[in-house]
Order: sequence, then structure tokens, then C-alpha cells
Amino acid sequence: MTDVPFSEGLFPEDNRHEPIRPRAGDPVVLPGPTMGSMTDQICANALRRRAFLWWYILIAPFVLGTAILIAAITWLFYAGIGIWGVSWPVMWGYALIGYVWWIAIASGGTFISALFYLCAVEWRASLNRLAETMTLFAAACAGIYPILHLGRPWLFYWLFPYWNVMTIWPQFRSPLLWDFFAIFTYVTTSIFFWYFGLIPDFASMRDRATSRGKQTFYGVLALGFRGSERQWRHYHPTYGIMAAIMAPLVVSVHSIVGLDFAGGATLGWHETQFPPFFVFGALLSGFAMVLLWAIPLRRLLGLESYITGHHLDVLCKLLLVSSICIGYSYMMEAFMAFYSGDEADKINFMAKVSGSSLAWIYWSTIAFNVTLPQLLWFRRCRLNQTLVFIVSLLVIFGMWCERYTIVVMSLRRSHLPSAWGTFVPTIWDWATLWGTVGLFASGVLIAIRFVPAISMAEMRGLIQSREKEEQRA
Amino acid sequence: MPPVNGQWRSLKELADDPDFLARAADEFPDLSDALASAPDRRSAIKLISAAIATSGLGGCDWAPWGTLIPAVKIAPNIVPGLPNVYATAHLFDGYAAGITVKHFMGRPIKVEGNPLHPASLGATDPFAQAEVLNFYDPDRAWAITEHDVPVTYQRLQEALLAERTKITESRGAGFRILTGTITSPAVAAQLDAVLSTYPEARWTRWEPVSRANISEGAILAYGQPGEMIPKAGAADVILAIESDLLSSAPGHVRIARDFASRRNPVRTEKMSRVYAIEPVPTLVGAVADHRFIAGPSELRQAVNALAAGILGTPPSSGAPPWVPEIIADLRANRGAALVHAGPDQPPEIHALVFAINEALGGRGRTFELIAPVAHSTPGREISLTGLARELHDGKVSTLLILDSNPVYTAPGSLDFAAALKRTKFSLALTLLPSETGHVAQWAVPMAHSWEEWSDARAYDGTATILQPQALPLYNGISMLTMLALFIDAAPPPALDIVKSSWQSRLGPNFDGAWHDILANGIVPNSASPPANISLRSGAERNAISEIAPQPLSVLFRPDPHLWDGRYANNSWLQELPRPFTKLTWDNPLLIAPERAQDLKVGNGDMVRLSIGETGVTAPAWIMPGQAADTIVALLGFGREHTGLVANGTGFNFYPLTGREGAISLQKAEGHMELASTDHHHLIFGGTGDYARHGTLADFRRDPRLLSATGQVPHLYHWKLAGPAQWGMSVDLNACIGCNACIVACMSENNTPVVGKDEVIQEREMHWLRIDRNYEGSPDHPDIYFQPVLCMHCEQAPCEQVCPVGATVHDQEGLNVQIYNRCIGTRFCSNNCPYKVRRFNFFGYANKEQRPSEARNPDVTVRGRGVMEKCTYCIQRIAEARIAADRENRPVGEVRTACQAACPTQAFTFGNLVDSGSEVVQRKASPLDYALLAGQGTYPRTTYEGRITNPNPAIAGGKE
Repeated sequence: MTDVPFSEGLFPEDNRHEPIRPRAGDPVVLPGPTMGSMTDQICANALRRRAFLWWYILIAPFVLGTAILIAAITWLFYAGIGIWGVSWPVMWGYALIGYVWWIAIASGGTFISALFYLCAVEWRASLNRLAETMTLFAAACAGIYPILHLGRPWLFYWLFPYWNVMTIWPQFRSPLLWDFFAIFTYVTTSIFFWYFGLIPDFASMRDRATSRGKQTFYGVLALGFRGSERQWRHYHPTYGIMAAIMAPLVVSVHSIVGLDFAGGATLGWHETQFPPFFVFGALLSGFAMVLLWAIPLRRLLGLESYITGHHLDVLCKLLLVSSICIGYSYMMEAFMAFYSGDEADKINFMAKVSGSSLAWIYWSTIAFNVTLPQLLWFRRCRLNQTLVFIVSLLVIFGMWCERYTIVVMSLRRSHLPSAWGTFVPTIWDWATLWGTVGLFASGVLIAIRFVPAISMAEMRGLIQSREKEEQRA
Repeated sequence: MPPVNGQWRSLKELADDPDFLARAADEFPDLSDALASAPDRRSAIKLISAAIATSGLGGCDWAPWGTLIPAVKIAPNIVPGLPNVYATAHLFDGYAAGITVKHFMGRPIKVEGNPLHPASLGATDPFAQAEVLNFYDPDRAWAITEHDVPVTYQRLQEALLAERTKITESRGAGFRILTGTITSPAVAAQLDAVLSTYPEARWTRWEPVSRANISEGAILAYGQPGEMIPKAGAADVILAIESDLLSSAPGHVRIARDFASRRNPVRTEKMSRVYAIEPVPTLVGAVADHRFIAGPSELRQAVNALAAGILGTPPSSGAPPWVPEIIADLRANRGAALVHAGPDQPPEIHALVFAINEALGGRGRTFELIAPVAHSTPGREISLTGLARELHDGKVSTLLILDSNPVYTAPGSLDFAAALKRTKFSLALTLLPSETGHVAQWAVPMAHSWEEWSDARAYDGTATILQPQALPLYNGISMLTMLALFIDAAPPPALDIVKSSWQSRLGPNFDGAWHDILANGIVPNSASPPANISLRSGAERNAISEIAPQPLSVLFRPDPHLWDGRYANNSWLQELPRPFTKLTWDNPLLIAPERAQDLKVGNGDMVRLSIGETGVTAPAWIMPGQAADTIVALLGFGREHTGLVANGTGFNFYPLTGREGAISLQKAEGHMELASTDHHHLIFGGTGDYARHGTLADFRRDPRLLSATGQVPHLYHWKLAGPAQWGMSVDLNACIGCNACIVACMSENNTPVVGKDEVIQEREMHWLRIDRNYEGSPDHPDIYFQPVLCMHCEQAPCEQVCPVGATVHDQEGLNVQIYNRCIGTRFCSNNCPYKVRRFNFFGYANKEQRPSEARNPDVTVRGRGVMEKCTYCIQRIAEARIAADRENRPVGEVRTACQAACPTQAFTFGNLVDSGSEVVQRKASPLDYALLAGQGTYPRTTYEGRITNPNPAIAGGKE
């Protein structure tokens, strides 16, 4: 038996050098890699027999988190929803917060890969695989929450308009039903879109795999893609059509998540601005999450030539724009609380922003989602990887606070003071929250271990055009 | 009489029991040989295992004695699936209030008031509603115990034989009987028989929450005992001095009805005016037009000033400034004024109150005097203190304690537990295991009042025969039989004893009369006639001694729902939010906001209350509207040797009672989470839109002043079409916050109890809650009660958001919840502006220690993960609909459980299409308004706003 080392060292071999810092005016792809060397490098990452040491170190806590999630869900199904902190009148808690939070995070990938594809933006080629992978697992985390959230989760399929002997249909006026369709559509199309984009890369992997098992594995996944002109001729328009379907879905899914709340007559929810407000929030957290992954992975996977200062710069600008948009929404929310003339609405809003020990949650939302990203007006900040990483992390936290404010703080103060209450999360709320973080991160890490972290097919196109330009020059 | 149980004391006894051996021989031939042989080591071990194996068999032997015939023919009048209703009475502190009990296949499931009974008129209090749970309580005493060890009935009989011989010889010297208040003619006759058999025996009549002050006051005033029957319906002006008129006075259910009949200006010619003077909020105080807070010394000053103004006694100094206006109002309403003082006031105050009432000329109109309803045997009674002294002195050889729990409830200064241990023979007859049963030599399970024949009298003397409602669950012995056992080893059945006490009074046609009495629940014409007694001369001149203002005084009050602790094992009552604090499962010390500020304590912070050497550490609770110099300690909690529900719940303040010494209240270490269903911090002001209210003067000016803010316009209106459209009107003028409706709802609708921890988590399941709104300053707030239940909105926000259509409207305008369809998204609750929906976060009903026989078979028991809410008692509507269909007539009257229980008829429910129905009339009232009208929900439940009648001469009345 050959002695197989546990890992293949901390980093990829061709990356054991000083890190390349992002600089202003970086091109989309740094000079150096050729089509061949790029394909070699990306395939090698996915095809090697043992993962890098950093991968093991990084994934360990997240796998633990996933195990905790499984335990938490098992106990939840056994004991009932009462193990959570949800109560009367705060009937929705961490499940709904987590759901909205994750689905928003998922948006980043779709937005980058679908919308910017349609706009023929070059730089997306370096990020789309990463972003879509992230979308996939964030959407998976979002997708389990609505089922966990049910009082009788084993009956979740009653939301399907399926044919049954009782001829009972779901209730089509309920935003929760729209939500169910929206999420279902979004998750399935996201999976297809991600997979479809991967087909040419799977073909490359199949061709480079050395062991029989890997050849079969990637061969099956490649669906017989051989790179013939005829296949490419079909592939490109199909991909374009899928992108054209996906791009509006980003908007629709978050609008409908917004309607989950706006459709209720509940104080703090019943606002016409919620659909765009939620789209802004989704984009903000989506971009933040892409940055959160891109910054460490460009170093860890040796992708510094492909994810450059240009990408950081563009993503930070997008983050800044969505932050300004969401700032506007916060302002309108505050304004409407007073403009509507409803005394209860005013009390509800004032209870969020002051006078309670939980007011810091509201102010964290403002600080991390609106104030902090203003740093990104400065190019030096945009190119400072540590700073951008911290800002992104805090934006993700700020977005969670925003959802807490919307879900919990609104329900705490309803019209009748006799029905006011509080919400105290239990250990199972936290276990489920951190459990989904584990599921998300371990899912993404496992995916980038086995699939190419960069869309090689598209990257080859970029490098080819760069090489042509160089030749012309 | 059958053995109470089949338990054995020793393995030897078990082995020698020929009956057991015969049975064992039939079933296990080898085993019986082993049991019959002389025991050696090996067979002893075999015996032990045999004992373990067969000990369950004895437990199976619980069938009622006699020959059992399977129900091949169902008993007459019983149709499976249809209820039967039988009349009886509910006893509260000995006084009866008529009830009817609804049965399914012989199982009692629901209590309703008896409309024919004068103390009920069809309504009940929360205690009567909760009696179902007491009856089925799995913790009830089930075995005769001697020193806490179960023994056979034969063993008790042997002991009683010895005892009878002994006390017959001593002519009853050293024989003492302790009971509560007795109004039952049969029990009284039996007791008299025992007392006459043993001439030296003495009887102690004692209630922990005593009304003795009132009877002593009557003796002071009239020179002889008398009992006052208030007639609140006839009074134009009522002055309540820490009165229990609406909460616990004998006849309070009836009095509340009379009281409320004069409180809604739409339906009464002349609205009454109510003044309340009290140190702590009472139900009367909350609904009074003027509520004056007075600590003990100020209260005495006020009463003295009152007496001076009305009786002409020497004026007192330092009377509160508002007294003269009250005097003027009382005097202006001579013949239509009523003054009522609660049982906690000293006899002298009661004597003055009797004199004042006589002076105001209300006798025969606003009140009546009758001979006391409670049984007494002058000359043969000793006080509890006397009994305790005798016990300590070792003078008592035989003590019989009937349905009383002195070890827990006797004043702490008497040290009753130690006293009790000094008797040679003590026997406690208890419904539940009790502290007294634990200390006494013998504890005998008592038959529940639904298990044995008896009788009792109401506040006005009306008698009711208590007929058994079911076969005994636990082989208890009734109080009648227990007394009879002290005369005769084999007493006649209780039915015979009861019948014989009525034989002479019912005349020749006994059987017919007896049948009518049982069917109607009252003995006709048995009410006491007015007593022909008059004030002693000079009685009015007994001005009460004033006491110097104390920095602190402790007021021991019964818990509003556990009373003296007898209902502590009733989880419905434990979890019933107390009218003012909305607390459940606990009895913190109630202190005034001012006192809390001084001590720097908040709700739940621990404090130590000591009187002299004795102290109790308990959490504090801030009670707005309480006199600053008082601390209220609620009795009834902190039980130790009773059922699982009560044990260790709350704090026992009885040890502090009867003590003398300096009173101190200090902040202690720690904090305790208390389960109040009122989760918001106190808000003052701004409640005007929820519980709308105005003054009579404003109402006269503009009758529609409270319905001015109407509903928002809407395009789609529900058409009131079809045979029935259901709706409800709640009269806030009538609601006294007594909580009877909540228990009635729980009983009718199988609503589960969730326990203290879940209440702290805000997960209580009451379909109906009574909001207590404060207005004004915390020191002296106005209090407004408002029952809130599902509004059955015509434009129901809950229905639109349910993704599976589990909550929908039916054609009769009901917002129905389909439990089977509910998957528990809980969006409906979020969208409900009134927050009346309740969610089964766990399978609460599964966890309840309650036999399924006790549930209402017409109502689904909800499982985990399902939303539930008020259905307007849809099962009762269905019943009415079926009856109407069968008789081919339009659907008739339906009474919801809350409506039926309500003493004051605050709820009116009915068909909105039927223009003659009461609900249509009430909804036409100018006071009618919808809660949160601005939400555009068009609720089917509307309220009649509260109108108060403050005296224009006094500033600061309720507005």
C-alpha cells in the first residue's frame, strides 16, 4: 500500500510565494497564465487525491456545525416547535430570520452570474462559479427553514397544489404560498444553472482525470460534452436563455419574500416598499458574501491571477450602491412610521429604535449596513483585503440584525398593549442558526474541492482574447 | 361498606388471607402451595417476588361493591352521544350555589349555573366551573392511611370501635370535632346527633378565610346573630368598604347580576353610583365610579367620619376630605343606599355598617336580614384558638377533622402541627392528601360532593339536595357518613340520612316532591324569611377605636382563585390569570409602587417579610392602586403534602398569620421569574381607544360618544343573509373581571393548561383573556376590564395569509379553524390584530394529567403544532342547528360557555339575522363599538363602552 499523505501541504505548489496584492488598475486576468496553464492549475486543484491542509482546518468547525444542525433538527422533529423561543405574540423567530437571511445571501451569485452575463460583463467569468456555488448552498439553507418552521413539518407537502382525493387546494391568496413557489423555482433553477455552467468544465476534468473512478465520475457529469462546435452552438444560446430566466428571478424571489411580510396586516410589516427593500437587502448581503469567500480563496486556491484588484474594486462599488439603496429604505421606513399617522405604528417603531434593551439591534443594522460600507467610497479601502473582509462580515451580521428587527421587534409590539410580549431565543435557536452556517460553509468547501473553482471554459475565452490583444500589440 | 382498598400490611397477612389464597390457587396452583407452606429463606424470597408480581392484582379490585351487571340495556334517559344534565349545588365556604352538571354516558364534563337557583340564576363563579377538574383529580386521596401507611377499612372500623367505646365512657370529654362552615341541614342534624350522644364533646367551626367578623358585628349591632342579604339591584348608591360583594361574599354570583343590572345607562333607568374605599384593588373597586385608597388607619377614620355624618356619633379627627361628599350622596339617597364592608374589617366596623344601613333606611329594600344560614350550636362550640390550647395542654383525646386543613391553614402562632401530634386519636377526612392528613394519625379519603348524597343552603337560605353525579372514583367516605360512624358502626346510607332530614318538611307526597327537588335543584320556598330583629339601642354609638397610622401593615388575603389553598391542586385555577396582577402559578407579596421605589425592587425581586421573629422570603410584585402602607400576602400557595400540581407552588404565608411583632420588609438577594400573562410594562394613558369609556354626563349629552370612531369604509360587505349569522356583544359596563368565563371556556373547549414555565414563555392557551387596562397614575390608576376573544372578523386578516386554507369563513359568518388542515405556519396569529390565536407549541393536551373522560367529547382535543382559537362554541351552535333541523324551525338560542357562566351577563351571543334577538338589541346600543375599528376587520364581536357615573362634587372620579 502506498503511503498517501494526509494532505498535500498547506497551499497549492504554484502558490507558495508571496501573496499578490490587489492593485488599482489590475486587468481582469493578470498577465502570466495561458489557457493551458490555467486549465492545468484549476483542474489540478479539483483532481488531487488529498486536499490541502487549510481545507481540513477550515472545514472541521463547519462539519461540526452541520452535525449540530442534524441534532437540532432531529430534536425539533421529536419534541416540537416549542423547543425554540417562539411564543405568543412573537410567533415567528429565528427560523424566519434565518430563512430571509440565507435567501438574501443566495442572491449574490445569481445576480453576478446571470445579470452580468446578459450584460456581457467580462469580469464575471472569474467569480461566477464561486458565486453560484455559494448561492446553491445558501438557498439550500434557506430552503430547509420553512419546513423546520412548521408546527407540523411532516405535512409540508400540503403547500403543493397536488391532486388529492379531497380536492383541497392551497390557499392562493397567502403570501406564504407565493413564497413557496418562488423559493421552489429559485432553488431548482439555481441548481440547473450552476450545473449547466459546469458541463464544459466537467468535460475538461474528465479528460484530465487519471484514475478510472474520476474519469467515470466526471464523465457522467459531463453528459457527453466533447467540445464540438455543434455542442457549443447549442450550449451558448441555452446558457443565455437560462441566464435570462434567472436574472428576473432574483428580483421576483426577494420581492415575494418581502411580500411575506408586507402581505400581512402586521405593524412594521405592512409597507408597500417591502419588495424593493428586500431586493436591496438581498443584493447587499449577496455581494458581501461573494467578497467574503473571494478574498480568502483567491489566496488559498492560488487564484490571484484571476480574481484581481479589478474584481474587488467592482464588487465593493456594487456593495456600496446596494448599501445606499438600503439606507434609503431604512429612511423611508422611519418616515412612514410617523407619516402614516397610526399611533400604534409609531409606538412599534419607537420600541425598535429606543427605550428597550434591544435597540442596539436596530442601530447595528444602520451602522453595519449603511454607515460602515461608506468606507468603500475610497479606493484604498476597496483594495484593502482585510478591511473589505471585515466590512463584508459585518454587513452579513448587520443584515441578520435587520431581519431580527423586522421579524421579532415588529411582532413584539402589536396594536393592543395587552398582547405585547418578548422573544428569548433558546439554545436550539442558536444551534439551528450556527448549524446552517456550518451546512453552508462545509457545502461550499466540499464543492470547491471537487469542482473547478473558476469557470475554465469562460476563462479560456478571456485569456484567448487577452492573448490576441497582446499579439496585436 | 366495602374496603377502601385491597392493600396489605405484611407479607404474612397476604399469605394468610384465605380469599387471596383461593384466588391464587385458581390462577397459579404452584404459587398457592408456596404461600401456604411455612416460610423459610428461599420461600421468603419467592414470596417477595410473588408479592411484587401480584401486588398489581389487588389494585385492580376497584369495582364498586355489589353485583355488577353489564350494560346490556342502557340506563333510561341515556342516549349514547347525547348529554344528560343533573342539578346539584356547588359549595363555597359551605354556602351553596345551584349548578347543573352535564354528563356524557354518566361522565360529568361541564358545570353550568342553575337558572332556578337564587344564588346562581344560571351563572357560576370560577370555582364552580373548575369543580370538574377537582372531581377527576388523579391526586385525590384514595386510601385510608394510618400514619401515612395505607390500611384497610376494617382496620379503621376497629379503631373507631375502640374510640367510640372510649368516648362513650368519658361522655365525650376530650372529643373534639373541627369543621368548616356547615349549611347542610343533614350534616347539621348528624353533627347535633353526635354532640348529643357525647354531651361533653365540643365543636370547632372554623374557616381560614373567616367571615366571623361580620357575624360578630351583627351580634354587636343587633344583640343576636343575623345575616345580611345585599340587594345591589335596588341600590342607587353603593359604598363598598374593601368589599367582597362581587368576588366571594355568599351569593356573590347573584349579587353581581343585580349589581350589573344598574350599571349600563342604556338599559337602566337610573344608573347606580358606586364608591369604594379599600387598601387593595377589589373587583368592586375596579368597577366603582370612585375608588379611594385607604390604608387600615385611614379606613377607620373614614368609617368613623361616615358614622359621625350619618349616625351623629362624635366626629373624628383627620377624616379624609372625600368623606363628606359620600355622606351627602348616601343621605340624599335614603332608602336606596347600601353600605357593604368586607370580612377583613373588624367586627366594630361591621356593627357600625349595620347601624348606618339601618339609618339609611335600606332594610327591606337594599338589603334584608335573615337568621344565619350557617349552622351553629351555641354553648357547644369552642374557637380554634381554644381548641389549639386544649390540644397543647393534652386535653383532647379524640379529634375529628372534617374537610379542614388546620395544619396548613391555622394561624402560625397556634403551631397546630405540634398540637395535633399530642392527641391520641386524630382523624382527618380530606378530599386530597393534605398537610393535616399527613400529621394526623388517620387520614380518610372524603367522597367528593358529586359522589354522595347531601344537602346545603344558599346565602338566602334556599336549600338544595346535592345528588351524586357519578359512581365514586376513589371510594371516599362522605362527611355525613363519617359523623354517623361516630354513632353507629354500620350507619345507614347517606341517601337515607338526607331523605330522613327532609321527610317531615316535604309532606305526604314525599316521592313526588323529592323528584321535583332533584330535577329543579332547589327545595321550593326554603329561603329564610326576613329576621325580625332590630338594632340594640345605642348600637350606633359604638365608634370604633382609631389606630395610629402604622408604617407598614400586612394584609392576609385569600388568593382570588386558590382561595385558602383548597383549590391549589386545580391547574385551571392555578393558571387562571389573577384579575389584577394577571399572575399565574405564584403569589408574590403585593406592594405599592411607592413602596417598591423606596425598596428599589421590581417585579420578581426577592424581599423578606418578617413579623416579629418569623419571616418569609418571597418575590415582590408591584400593585398599582394599593395603599402605600400595606403589604398583601396572598394565602393558599406553598402547599407541601397534597397533589402534584400544588406541592411547592408559590409561598406559604400562613406561618406569619396570627403573629404579633414588628413588621419589616427588606430587600433580599435574588430574583424570581414570575408567570404573568401581562407581558408589557405598565402603560398609563392611551388605553381610551381599546376599552372605551366616558362619563354619564357626557353620555347624556351625546349618547354615541363612544361609537364615534367607527369602522373604516370598505367595498365588500358581508351580507347578513341566511338562516343564521352569529355575533356577540360584550358589555364593558357589566364585566367585573371575575374570570368565570375563562374557566368555563377551558372546560367547554378542552383548552389545555401549559404550566408555569410555558406561561413565562408566553404560551398560555386561554381562548379568552380579560385585559386589565390601567389609566392614570400608578399610585391611583383607574382600572378597566375588557374580555378579548376571537372577534370573528368579517374581513378576517388571518384567513388571507394561511397557505393551506386552515382558517376560513363559514356561511354563518364564523371564522372557523380547521385543526386537521393546520400545518402550523402561525402567520394567522401574526396577522391577527387582536392576538387571540393560541398555538400548541408542544402537545400540551397530551401532557395534561387529566383523564380523557373529563373532556368534552364534542370538541376536538388539539395536538402539537396546531393553531387554535375561540370558535364561538361552534359545537353548541351545531347542537342548536341539529335541534332546529329536527323540529323544522329556524335555529334558536345558542349560549356560549363564557356567556352562560358570566354572573353579570356581560356577554350576549346570538343570531344577527333574528331581529328579535338580544344580541341585535345590544348591538344597536349607542355604546356599541368595534375594538381596533381602524383595522377594517369588521369584527362580529363588538363592545358596549363603559360609562361611569362619578359624583360631580368629587374631583378625580373615573372618566
